[in-house]
Amino acid sequence: MEAVLKNLANTVELLAVAAHSCAVNQWDKQTVSRAFHWAKYCEHIYSRFHTNSTIRRVMEKQLQLTNQSLRDAIPAYSEVSFTDLPRCQHLLLVRLLKNPELPSSVMRIFFETKSAVNDAPCEYEDIRGLCSHMIEHRSACKVLSPVSGASAVGADAEVQGEMLMERLGALLSQNTNPHLAEHFLCSVLPLFEGTAQHLCLVITAALLTPKDSATQTASQDFLLDWLLKKDNVLQYMCSLLPSTLLKDLAKEHLKFREAYCGVLKQWASDMKYSVNDGEWGQTSTDPPVSFQNITKHFQTLFEACPSMRASTEDELRALRISNGDFDVRGLSVWGDLLSAIKGQK
Amino acid sequence: MTDLESVSNLQQTAESNVLVNVQEMQFLLDKAVAWGQADSPDTLKDTCLHLNRLENFLQQLLTYINSMKSTAETMKKLPFLGQFLGRLCWNPCVTAGGTSRGLLLQCLLGLYSEHPSNAVERKANQWIRKVLCQLATDEDDAAAQAFMRRMGVPAKEYHLRVLQKMVAQLQENIGQSCCSQSSIDQRCSCDSTLATSDLVVPLVTCPETFPLICSLLQQPVACVRETLSENFLDTLSFAHSRLPLEEQGRISVWYHSLPSLEEAVLGLLDSVTETRPSLLKLEQEVTKSLLPKACAQHCSMFLVANDIFRSVIKQAEGNQSVKSVIHTFTRCFWRELSLLKPQTSASLKAFFPQSPPSLLIPLLTMPSEMPREAWKNHSKWLSSSLQKLTEEEEGDGDSTSTRGHHSVFEAWFLLVQCEHWVQVAAQLLVTSGPEDCRPLLWLLTFYHHPTNRWHHRASQLEKAKAAWDHLHAISSDLNDPLPVDRLQSLIALLSPQPQMPPPASSLILSLVVEFAVFCQLPLRAATDILKTVVAQPGLSEEAACVLSSLQLRLNEGGCSSSDRVQLRINHLQNTLTDVKA
Repeated sequence: MEAVLKNLANTVELLAVAAHSCAVNQWDKQTVSRAFHWAKYCEHIYSRFHTNSTIRRVMEKQLQLTNQSLRDAIPAYSEVSFTDLPRCQHLLLVRLLKNPELPSSVMRIFFETKSAVNDAPCEYEDIRGLCSHMIEHRSACKVLSPVSGASAVGADAEVQGEMLMERLGALLSQNTNPHLAEHFLCSVLPLFEGTAQHLCLVITAALLTPKDSATQTASQDFLLDWLLKKDNVLQYMCSLLPSTLLKDLAKEHLKFREAYCGVLKQWASDMKYSVNDGEWGQTSTDPPVSFQNITKHFQTLFEACPSMRASTEDELRALRISNGDFDVRGLSVWGDLLSAIKGQK
Repeated sequence: MTDLESVSNLQQTAESNVLVNVQEMQFLLDKAVAWGQADSPDTLKDTCLHLNRLENFLQQLLTYINSMKSTAETMKKLPFLGQFLGRLCWNPCVTAGGTSRGLLLQCLLGLYSEHPSNAVERKANQWIRKVLCQLATDEDDAAAQAFMRRMGVPAKEYHLRVLQKMVAQLQENIGQSCCSQSSIDQRCSCDSTLATSDLVVPLVTCPETFPLICSLLQQPVACVRETLSENFLDTLSFAHSRLPLEEQGRISVWYHSLPSLEEAVLGLLDSVTETRPSLLKLEQEVTKSLLPKACAQHCSMFLVANDIFRSVIKQAEGNQSVKSVIHTFTRCFWRELSLLKPQTSASLKAFFPQSPPSLLIPLLTMPSEMPREAWKNHSKWLSSSLQKLTEEEEGDGDSTSTRGHHSVFEAWFLLVQCEHWVQVAAQLLVTSGPEDCRPLLWLLTFYHHPTNRWHHRASQLEKAKAAWDHLHAISSDLNDPLPVDRLQSLIALLSPQPQMPPPASSLILSLVVEFAVFCQLPLRAATDILKTVVAQPGLSEEAACVLSSLQLRLNEGGCSSSDRVQLRINHLQNTLTDVKA
């Protein structure tokens, strides 16, 4: 273990050198290639130990120490945390590129393209064309994005949803402490600050990933339970997602179906009738949901699960009766909702 | 543009003659500015349309940069260079395309000075580093970047996965069936297929988008609209040799793009007439080209290929290697067609609209498909039918009638495609008596000398008859030694004579070879005959060709040849090799 910790500390120091030292101008292909091997080593020990809380704690301690001494030596030093380890090679690359002392010969290797060299594998295959490939893939996504609108979720949200499920699955299967997984999900939320629509899509994608294994089913259940506790996220989803996705979710998950129905009833119960406009309206949600929209949502729900129609209508009828059972428009939101739903049948 | 003006539009390096077209640079710079102003599908499409032109210019630019003494000098000569390259760096089409990205990055790195000697070069170096670093690390999606950090996912892996997901989604989308048959105004998936094909132009070099390209190519042409863009097909037909396209993908490129089909057919012709492979090799090459398979699947492609063959053979009719290609191609095509037969609905007539219908099936039938005893009658029937056809057309009185020429040509072209019956006739001539030899000789003569006017068919037929008489006499005389006078007369027929049409060497030579293989003479005597004949300059190679073609035919399709024949062919082949050596 001691050796591992020493290697870890050395690699973190290496990252600091890559970012800040003018010694980098002495680096040649071999040096850079070796540096990437060390970075890869850190990625490996992360994947090996990140679920082992004892070892993780020891490593975090080591990182703290190394960071401390580096911070003392280098004023502009940016720390390396335990969660940075799986992206160690990427960190190394970015830091090298930002270091003005990086020899241009190394830069040339990073930016090589396949057509520029013969296709025979070379000694430094791992670093050759590293940047060129990234640019290629990112650009290709941009080129294709105008035509990829056919998918309701979007490729990026779908990949993020898959990654979310993978991480959640790993946390749940290797850890008996559910708080860790819950903490993890809560830490994801602020990442999508200001992009609520995208967050909804990521969660949707995660909930709609094919359930290939028991782990995945368990992860989805966990995510769903968490979602039902986050009332604001759930409301966002119901108001921001396109009806096709809401329908898919309702079809796939019984719990979501019920929660969806609950949100709709809550929206309806908040409605006030405006005599001037002759319409039901509400102000409690942001953006406000109209009476027509609630009706449409109920329709979506019934399309996803036809058996819910009868029970929901019964429920609405009971609510109308509790409101006095008047058959006059504008008196009971439940009565008006019931006739609107029946009218659309 | 006057000469003077055009000179001023070219920027020349001091040391060499490397030129850069400044006007072209201005045009492309204006384009790059326009592309940068709107991030719409139309601007992307416009970039794709100009990508090839841009690549050519970047190549020119790279040569120019590399030939200059210093970056400072380059910047002085081309003050807009930095702006031009910088703008291109932020155009996803340019940075997605393998060639354009490679050239762009090389240009930038080419401007990097190892030992900057002045402020301009130092500034340029700084700028290049900044641009490259941004290019490699810039994320315009802050949420995605934060997500990657939180998930511990490297950017490389993330972008690769998003791209693969996108490709999979688009593939699924393309796979949805076309719905426009119901209404022409309705939007259908073909619209998005067309738009996709427009945009994947820069991505043909990207392995990750390759499955998408294959899916696009497998689109059936069911829609009233154009389903694949011209630019896409042009790019593919240009790049297909570098792409690991699957069989159906390659066939689809030809199907959608006529120029690429023409290129493939001409390429095949060029390669095999240049290398003159053995017939066995030829057949492998032709099969490997996939063209026979493609032609069997799509009648229209067969018609195009045949039109190319027609025009090539008209220019090189005496060229035996062209004839061999056409025959081999037709045989491979026929085999592919018979594999498809149960599903295909196109009738034979559709594949051979110009061929004489009555001769079509009889000629296309392979000798192995009928009993050996029927060969003689079948060949005689073919001969007489063709003879009748030529007499009708030529005997019209009006010998210049184009229609007449045309139908004789078509009959002859079909015979070239089905050369196996000519070979059978030659073989039959060895064992035939004088009563059968006329029609069989006529078939051979027609194959080698299709017209009477230009090819002197009538006089060639007489020569062939004389050669046959000699060979018949030599092979019937089983006593040693060989009749020298007969042999001399035979050789005389093969030698050029003044004021006479060129000798019927191919025709007579094929007769000699057939006799040497199939006659009753002992092998030693047969070898002597062949040896004496091919002692004439230039004949041994052709004789070897006839032999190998004979061998191929005998080995193929259950035409089991006896051990005796095999032995004789092998021995004769060795003899010819010795003669050549």
